Amino acid sequence: MSNSGQDRPFAASFMDDYFAEADEHMTAVRQSLLTLESAPASATPHAVLEELFRSFHSLKGISAMVELREAELLAHQMESCLRALRQGTLTLTGERFDVLVDGVRMLERVIAARRSSSPPPMIEPVVEKLDMLAQARDDASPSGGGSGTAHAAPNSHDSAGARRWRVTFVPSPQLVERGVKVDTVRARLLQIGQVLTVAPKVVPGGGISFEFDLLTSNHSQLDQWRDDGLTYEPMDAPPASEVERPTLDLTPAGSSNVVRVDLARLDELMRLVGEMVVTRSRLEDTLRRVESFVPFQEWRALQDHSARIERNLRDLREGVMRVRLVPVSEIFRRMPFVVRDLARDSGKRVHLELTGQSAEIDKFLVERMMDPVLHLVRNAISHGIESPEARLAAGKPPEGTIRLGAATVGETVAIDIADDGAGIDLESVAQRARALGLMADGELDARMLLDIICASGFSTRDEADRASGRGVGMAVVRDAVESLGGTLSVETRAGLGTTFRMTLPLTLAITDAIIAHVGAQIFAVPQTAVREVVEVDASLLRAFEHNELMPYRGGTLPMIRVSDLFSLPATPRARYHAVVIGAGQTAIGLIVDRIAGQREVVVKAVTDPLIRVDGVSGATELGDGRVVLILDVAALSRTRRQHPRAITGVPA
Amino acid sequence: MSDTSVAAAEPASAVQAYILFAVAGTTYALKSNDVVHVEMLEHVTPVPNAAAYVEGVVFSRGQVVPVINLRARFGFERAALTLRNRLIVVQHDGRRIGLLADESREFTRISDAAIRPPQEAIGGLSGSYLEGVATLGERIVLVLNVREIVDTVPTAVA
Repeated sequence: MSNSGQDRPFAASFMDDYFAEADEHMTAVRQSLLTLESAPASATPHAVLEELFRSFHSLKGISAMVELREAELLAHQMESCLRALRQGTLTLTGERFDVLVDGVRMLERVIAARRSSSPPPMIEPVVEKLDMLAQARDDASPSGGGSGTAHAAPNSHDSAGARRWRVTFVPSPQLVERGVKVDTVRARLLQIGQVLTVAPKVVPGGGISFEFDLLTSNHSQLDQWRDDGLTYEPMDAPPASEVERPTLDLTPAGSSNVVRVDLARLDELMRLVGEMVVTRSRLEDTLRRVESFVPFQEWRALQDHSARIERNLRDLREGVMRVRLVPVSEIFRRMPFVVRDLARDSGKRVHLELTGQSAEIDKFLVERMMDPVLHLVRNAISHGIESPEARLAAGKPPEGTIRLGAATVGETVAIDIADDGAGIDLESVAQRARALGLMADGELDARMLLDIICASGFSTRDEADRASGRGVGMAVVRDAVESLGGTLSVETRAGLGTTFRMTLPLTLAITDAIIAHVGAQIFAVPQTAVREVVEVDASLLRAFEHNELMPYRGGTLPMIRVSDLFSLPATPRARYHAVVIGAGQTAIGLIVDRIAGQREVVVKAVTDPLIRVDGVSGATELGDGRVVLILDVAALSRTRRQHPRAITGVPA
Repeated sequence: MSDTSVAAAEPASAVQAYILFAVAGTTYALKSNDVVHVEMLEHVTPVPNAAAYVEGVVFSRGQVVPVINLRARFGFERAALTLRNRLIVVQHDGRRIGLLADESREFTRISDAAIRPPQEAIGGLSGSYLEGVATLGERIVLVLNVREIVDTVPTAVA
């Protein structure tokens, strides 16, 4: 590190962040390794590999940022091994698992050494073993295994972050009927930690209960089994392993009124609020049904109470949401390092301006916005800002400026990444796009620019330098933003610079949605994505190749029937409703039978591969316990983008 | 009970608990360790463009859970839902999946010795989800492998 004096206090606070984040990732890594170890070799759980891969990918990135090269290299090697495992070119045997554990151990030592400012350990032997593992194929015997390095199974003292819990299970005939017995409980507990002892106890009433002494760092899982006769409480004595760990005090001195809260607990609170929102709407439905049976005065009073509960719930929800919000500066404050490094490597002079750092955004979003913002900042330096000579020649100051700004706009946050560089050369983009078959001949419309540079395969190939890493192209940036319910836009002016803008929802858990009926099915469309709701006269729809177009605001709007997308039975109607989503060239109309109104809905993730289908982003319920699917507006408008010719309207 | 009542010591005891259920007239069994709970179901929301044997999704204890129609999965005709239908919610590889059975009312213990591997008993199986065949007195019970049922199979649709 070659810090000049003035950077040091800033760098020091940044290192604290690095250590805290690295710790989080390492804890996740250890947990995943434990899961992996207990899984049979033939059935390595894919999700766990994914998680490990992501953890190492992040570790690589943050280590590179603080220039901890040894950690970067180790994480990179681990990532390569996991890629091989994930792709199935490699299966996990005991010996191979040990190599992974060695890698993790070494990574821990490297980070610990930096923390105590001691010289880094020798990483070469471990890196070499990892490298051979990543290259290995199943037919070849695992190399480097017999080198005689002794290592214990990682379940002894590696389960850092774990605590001991006293878990009590009271069996009952009802539970047995549902298949929940002491064996089931033990099997479940083994999935999330170590069972140290099991002791049957006679309870006062004459029944029996089992007390498990459980060591786990995943006790939130226990909550899910509450219905199955499980209760739990922490054991008083911390496990020995926790004492051995070097602890990192993250609380800045003097801020004793700040509480650090586990995100999982906030999620749980949010879930409970969500359930209350659903219960209240059931209450409202019931009230409506009984209106005619209840004396008006009484009914009025009930209605008032219900309305008050609704207001209280909104406040409560807002309060919980506010707790989840963190300042955008969590993203921004890493950027000075990136900018300094890249500017030095590329021989450019760059000044970074940060504004709106106090704007707040959901913690969940912050973590996922880090990579996209990083990518856009890197792009701004490697493609936007010119060399000092070129800038002088163009009559600009030799030092370029990148402005990172954030602002809260209603229920959304806008993040701008702006540079005062050369702007995007529309002509060369158009040439390349034509060469790749992404667009027809003709002028490149400025509004098509984003679609072109975000087309996968457009940007990444010949820029696999350090700046752009392993080809995380603009496609990934846009996907990341859109998968979080946000939008990405770009504005560029020749000679003056380029501005990318991300617009993101403040929070994800509860959202307003338009409720749409299609045949017998009900769908929800997130309101943030909807520009307007229009009525559609079926006789005005015109077929154009395999599209339908509708006159709209003096132009035409491509229309998609939800019933077609999802192959639902449809009865022709004279009038439909449609929601207009997207803007400009990517705007489309989604035709549904009718819009039944707008509601606040609790968003639940749809994660199982069996039900993850294109066009569905989540699920919710409207008070009757039935699942209502939430349409993935980003994916639906992407369906359109796959036919850019249809977008431009220029015949091929 | 058997003499293997030392709960803590042996993970693979000779006798294991199973949930029994019926699909199209045949009795099947799943290890009760794999089963989270069994519930009745009222309405299943269809999921467009999902595999043909996916009946849809339901909420089960606040979680979004896919429902596999076992009739469709095993190659039988679908049947209308009745009050006897049961949703057997299983846990596998961190996922929770509901299996729609015609009915499920029994819970029993089967000795490992009573289960024979399928290839010994039957030939020409369409899937590998059959783990073994158990004979309980007069009855024949097909013991299923949860993993093979819930893993996504490539559909014929391109």
